[in-house]
Amino acid sequence: MLELKDIECRYGKISAVRGLSLEVKEGEFVTLIGANGAGKTTTLKCISGLLPAAKGTITFQGKDISNAPAADILAMGIGHCPEGRRVFPYMSVEENLEMGCYLRKDKDAIHEDMEQLFDRFPVLKERRKQAAGTLSGGEQQMLAISRALMSRPKLVLFDEPSLGLAPNLVDRMFQIVRDIRDQGVTVLMVEQNAYAALELCDHAYVLESGEVTLKGTGSELLENPNVREAYLGT
Amino acid sequence: MDQLLQHALNATILGGTYALLGIGLTMIFGIMKIVNFTHGELYTFGAYMMFFFVMVLGTNFFLGLVMAIALGLLLGALIELALLRPLRDADIDTTMLVMIGAWIALQNTQQFTWTGIAKSINTPFPLDPLVIGSVSVSWSRVFVFVVAIMMIIGTHMLIHHTRLGKAMRATFQDRDTAALMGVKINRIYTATFALGSGLAAAAGALLAPIFVVYPTMGDAVAAKSFAIVILGGLGNFWGAAIGGFILAFAEEFGAGYISSGYRDAMGFILIILILIFRPTGLFAQRERIG
Ligand SMILES: Nc1ncnc2c1ncn2[C@@H]1O[C@H](COP(=O)(O)OP(=O)(O)OP(=O)(O)O)[C@@H](O)[C@H]1O
Ligand SMILES: [Mg+2]
Repeated sequence: MLELKDIECRYGKISAVRGLSLEVKEGEFVTLIGANGAGKTTTLKCISGLLPAAKGTITFQGKDISNAPAADILAMGIGHCPEGRRVFPYMSVEENLEMGCYLRKDKDAIHEDMEQLFDRFPVLKERRKQAAGTLSGGEQQMLAISRALMSRPKLVLFDEPSLGLAPNLVDRMFQIVRDIRDQGVTVLMVEQNAYAALELCDHAYVLESGEVTLKGTGSELLENPNVREAYLGT
Repeated sequence: MDQLLQHALNATILGGTYALLGIGLTMIFGIMKIVNFTHGELYTFGAYMMFFFVMVLGTNFFLGLVMAIALGLLLGALIELALLRPLRDADIDTTMLVMIGAWIALQNTQQFTWTGIAKSINTPFPLDPLVIGSVSVSWSRVFVFVVAIMMIIGTHMLIHHTRLGKAMRATFQDRDTAALMGVKINRIYTATFALGSGLAAAAGALLAPIFVVYPTMGDAVAAKSFAIVILGGLGNFWGAAIGGFILAFAEEFGAGYISSGYRDAMGFILIILILIFRPTGLFAQRERIG
């Protein structure tokens, strides 16, 4: 479904990601793990068109999207739930969700989708008129996830959905991502929480200093001694 | 007492157009982070277009006003597309220099086109003023005030209740995330600059029949607009609206009770006071354009 071939991303003269190739098949749950500064966020930004790829190609459902504008990539079905939640702080919960379906025109279906998300996250419904910046961290993350779903994506990119959350919420967040996958949406998730990510996923890639150093199924990587030492602390 | 009321009324009426000017400038700064030195020229442009339609072509006064504002929007869009879009990732110094250049070029073009001789515009309003108790105000000023208030409300509605307005606020609050939602940032920038410019042109077109029109009339207005925006907090919609009224009151009362020579100095005195005591502006902490 999504394929990155030999991608390079640069910030000015410094390349943050080099020669990166990865593949996500339809219906899969793929994770990308790696230390701080490894280039995980950069990779996701490159996929969704926020950063141009200096080299290499990205194809989605057979189409080259390497240098497509962000709006077109979203319209093709790639949603992105960014690192650090990034809700629009002065907009209400409802307006944030409306921004999530900015490109959609099917009013009735939008309304239905929003009601469904409200059923799933009643706290968002209670706070629908409240400014998103006043929500708690966990609520903001639920909003960010819901907002990404409002575009009805075929593939969602999650960038550290567990970042900065209390342990009980971390599990809840992973469960939510898991549910989304079970409903037929393909998932590419970046995580620091390697253990949980590897347990949940089908395939995983390990990124170090902008390069893929290991790949395999989740359980393979969980068994891998290098991974155990570097990311699982055992 | 009567004198006080009369000053307050004059200030309120002037404040409406100042608010328009301030909102236009603060939107552009808030959303695009651009210090728009052409703001005063758009005001002048609006005034000359009003003169052109009403006095040269003999267009109906109200239609002329609509046309002048529409052309102000268009000129704003053109400036954005021709000068700002190519400089999107340039540093702030470059952008500022280009905008200062545009300011000078626009002013000289207007001087060249219309000569330096001041022009006045006839209005269709009755000459007898509206008298309310002990105070009076001309009908043309009432018209200016009503239109200005309608435009402020209209702009607020646009920002808060339309798809374009939501995209503008999202862009202001978080540009990259807005792009992830499918917002075409370049278009938002063009629309924002056009709208801000249109508001400046509207202020010029509204006030032109009350004052006279001359090529450098925008300079003092640009300075006042900056004062209003600093007063209200950079990028703050209601701050700019309220700042416009505060400046109008300061000018009117400064001129009335201190000395009429101080009128144009009041804006700068206010800026100095604000920068000393509240450098982020009076209302900076409140919700901004977003
Ligand atoms: N806007 C930027 N300008 C310059 N360098 C950047 C920028 N963003 C990221 N980098 C650099 O690129 C490299 C990769 O950053 P990236 O944010 O992709 O890492 P990450 O794997 O997501 O890390 P984390 O786990 O901390 O989120 C880092 O060395 C970082 O310093
Ligand atoms: Mg990151």
